[in-house]
Amino acid sequence: MNKPGHLTNQTKAGLLFAAPWLIGFAVFLLFPLLKAFYNSFTEYTILTPPVWIGFENFADIFRDELFWKSLGNTFYYAFIAVPVSTVIAISLAMLLNTKVKGQAFYRTFFFLPALVPAVPLAILWLWLFNGEAGIINAIIEPIFGIRPNWLGDVNLAKNILIVMSAWGVGHAMVIYLAGLQQVPIALYEAADLDGASPLRKTFQITIPMLSPVIMFNVVMAIIGSFQVFTQPYIMFPGGAPERSTYFYSVYIYDAAFRDNRMGYASAMGWIMFLIILVLTLTAIKFMDKKVHYESN
Amino acid sequence: MAKRTLSQQNLLSVGAIHLVLGLLSIVFLIPLVWMISTSFKTVEQASVFPPVWIPDPFMGGNYKEAWEYGKDQLGGVAPMLIYARNSLIVCILAVTGTVISNSIVAYSFARLKWPGRDLAFAITLATMMVPFPVLMVPLFGLFKDFGWVGTFRPLWIPAWFAGAFNIFLLRQFYRSIPMELSEAAKIDGCSEWGIYSKVILPLTKPALAVVALFSFMGTWNDFLAPLLYLQQQETWTLAIGLQAFRSQAGGAPIHLQMAASTMVVAPVIILFFFTQKQFIQGIATSGLKG
Amino acid sequence: MNLTPVLTVIGVAAIAWAAVTSETSIQKPARADGRVVVTYWEKWSDFEFDAMRAVVNEFNNSQDKIFVEVLSVPNITQKTLLATSGGIPPDIAGLFGGNVAQYAYNNAVIPLDEFAAEAGINRDQYIPAYYDFCTYRGQLWCLPATPASTALHYNVDMLKAAGFDEPPKTLEDLDAMDKVIGRKDGDSLKSMGFLPTEPGWWPFAWPGFFGGKLWDGETKITMATPENIRAYEWMGSYSQRYGSATVSSFQEGFGTFKSPQNAFMDSKVAAVLQGVWMHNFITTFKPELNYSAAPFPYPADRPELANSTVLDLDILVIPRGAKHPKEAFEFIKFVQSQKGMEMLCLGQKKNSPLAKTSPGFLENHPNPHIKLFQSLAFSENAIAPPKTPIWAQWGDEIRTATQSINSGSKTAEQAMKDVDAKMQPLLDKVIRRERALGIYPEKTSEDNN
Repeated sequence: MNKPGHLTNQTKAGLLFAAPWLIGFAVFLLFPLLKAFYNSFTEYTILTPPVWIGFENFADIFRDELFWKSLGNTFYYAFIAVPVSTVIAISLAMLLNTKVKGQAFYRTFFFLPALVPAVPLAILWLWLFNGEAGIINAIIEPIFGIRPNWLGDVNLAKNILIVMSAWGVGHAMVIYLAGLQQVPIALYEAADLDGASPLRKTFQITIPMLSPVIMFNVVMAIIGSFQVFTQPYIMFPGGAPERSTYFYSVYIYDAAFRDNRMGYASAMGWIMFLIILVLTLTAIKFMDKKVHYESN
Repeated sequence: MAKRTLSQQNLLSVGAIHLVLGLLSIVFLIPLVWMISTSFKTVEQASVFPPVWIPDPFMGGNYKEAWEYGKDQLGGVAPMLIYARNSLIVCILAVTGTVISNSIVAYSFARLKWPGRDLAFAITLATMMVPFPVLMVPLFGLFKDFGWVGTFRPLWIPAWFAGAFNIFLLRQFYRSIPMELSEAAKIDGCSEWGIYSKVILPLTKPALAVVALFSFMGTWNDFLAPLLYLQQQETWTLAIGLQAFRSQAGGAPIHLQMAASTMVVAPVIILFFFTQKQFIQGIATSGLKG
Repeated sequence: MNLTPVLTVIGVAAIAWAAVTSETSIQKPARADGRVVVTYWEKWSDFEFDAMRAVVNEFNNSQDKIFVEVLSVPNITQKTLLATSGGIPPDIAGLFGGNVAQYAYNNAVIPLDEFAAEAGINRDQYIPAYYDFCTYRGQLWCLPATPASTALHYNVDMLKAAGFDEPPKTLEDLDAMDKVIGRKDGDSLKSMGFLPTEPGWWPFAWPGFFGGKLWDGETKITMATPENIRAYEWMGSYSQRYGSATVSSFQEGFGTFKSPQNAFMDSKVAAVLQGVWMHNFITTFKPELNYSAAPFPYPADRPELANSTVLDLDILVIPRGAKHPKEAFEFIKFVQSQKGMEMLCLGQKKNSPLAKTSPGFLENHPNPHIKLFQSLAFSENAIAPPKTPIWAQWGDEIRTATQSINSGSKTAEQAMKDVDAKMQPLLDKVIRRERALGIYPEKTSEDNN
């Protein structure tokens, strides 16, 4: 039945059903990815054909102070925003998982911010952190007696984006809440018999049981935060103050579509891709070990 | 005696949890409340310090003003109306395409056997690691060659060719349906398309609703792609129009910015309230790897 | 009741509507009268746009072959570049003068030399400084729309209340005035006499007011000269006087530019460096404001720098790939005529880029200070942005440097050296490529003029 050279009906059907994606993958993903790879060795402006320049773009990138600055900012954001948001999301999920009355209400309140689209989100938080008339300073000033200049201070401005990401943890919270509900009650009951403290239960049962979920979501969150564009682009033109909010994606956009350095931008894009690849694989490897170890 | 202490303790801890949750709710809601509050203020009251929570006078007309802000440039039509129409067009086409294409493709990955399928699926998953910025320039060049720049097509046609995340999500649902159902249908003489459309599809409506919701959110919120492909104001979506509210010609006053922002946020929140169950379940499923 | 059929019909109808509208809403029907439609994107909005629209109508009524369709396109620089890269440029784009070199270098606009020669348009007809915005590497890439020059706009009442009957003549006078008017209430500022970053649209221009140059005009960027460092130290002194965080917060409290809450109109800042258009905004938003304009002050030890001014120019270009370049130029030519240009400049209440003005243009001009701005345009000390393709990045670096200087995180000298170090390699690269393409003559024609 399965003669070579003849496709079985299932194979035909399978390929036919998968065709939209196979085409989409080739046209909208693989081709552009390879094209970007080629472009990264050229000087290219879309209006003029690419000119092969070898490794010059990469050499320039590694000498480019702004590249390092934007990369640093992006790392800072990813490696603070993701852990902070994750801890907040898990904490909220655990609070909600105590099965108090009105859980659904609280859940809705915590979730609403996650629904706010990026553009209004950016506009809203600029207004909240306004140094002169912002509500944040109106709350802080009577308590601490200071009026920080959030938007104008190099050390504060990028943390606004971290606060914003922490505000939007609703999505992750819902996932962790569902994860918590899948932890077998029997484990806690057994721990109760051993007289374990709530803290111990958290770190010995809850977190380990949740670890596959945490791994998956942390990896996705890191990939996402590396690409953060809309908020910094709208809130901090040119990465003001002093490039402290200039992010990698914004630099790629500027290089490509403002300065017409498409080859340079493509090279930066590939570097980003490689960084994400390495980070993700490392995270998977590291977490895999951890997950196994703890569940043994 | 011991029993009573326990329940007192219990009561205390329940009270403490409520207190914490209540305070946190306030923290999470303040920004939204502040946005709505500012949107009803006069421009003078919007920037007084210390701030006022309740607008006085109450300026409901801010919404009309924001809706029509800059209408002279568009021949007298309210810009927000145009933006909303455009967002709706793109959302409808993108959501339809996403649901149809992903359900078909996921069916193939979940319930049909073909050589190379598992490798193809692994590659599919790996594509989630490809960041958009690396594709940005070549895609722009590609869409230029297609003659799509300046139209809505770059924003919705790719949605008709499925995507890794949704394939993955739907595959989980499809795999949970017993294979016996398909086999029974096959014995009855159903083609694969018949099995898919008559037997499996009706069972996956909840999952498709989730995919539709996510796709709607993603398209409604998208900023970078419209920024690249839509130049003329008549073609802008809400995300781009709202950004122009801030940046265009010195920017609209803050109370109008907030009114316009509220109008962009509101549809999403309303949609959420109508579909809360699917929404929450969908997110939970997507994050739990099925 | 089963709602499924109803919902299905609604769903299908919605999809059909979306599919049809997505195409029809972006298609422009051809004109029934057979006139060539020239699309024209312009950066302006509101009354400035209305003034240009009036000129467009005048042109459309003056003949029956060409119909210009003008659209207001916010964020014009980016949008035009994207549209041109995307193969759908307008026939005419109204850009900013500082964009010319970048657009020319990137092949995004077409040269206008032949058109201009045919139409008899040449440099002699313009105020030289404005015409020179439009040339790069010996070719003409654009022609002027409306020009601008800048001056110190000051709030007469605020100055009087502080004991100044005259506007400041020297920068030292300006500093002294700020020290009197600047008022701090606890940690927050209530008013300032002057603020270099309000509106802060020309951070590159401060060196010019001190006789400094950003580069040699050819191959070498020279940000760290004593004059330039002095200029930025002066700029930074305003932030340092009150504390940079305080000034920054103060600015965040300003209303939007086009509103009565504008810092100058709202009497928060007593004097600002602003352009000829400011009168237009003041009459719209705060007609009762008692203000006047004077040449921007000069350093007391450099009196020869009096009448320094930042020049700005709105330009008209024909993007590469435009469908009707010939017809587009017909309109540009119309704008260059005495009649068309003065109609536009009067409508926008600005000075004229043409060397000669018609009788009555200045006398009947709605801007009471027009003679000042018109004469400043001829000033020897006019400041214009450098003509180089890397200006977008360079300007951005200067802006960043001014932020560092204002916050005190870098000295002016260090900040300038950093800009030099970052920008010189980019400029070298551009020149290398231009030499390779043979478009870098050792002496460019505009230098001979």
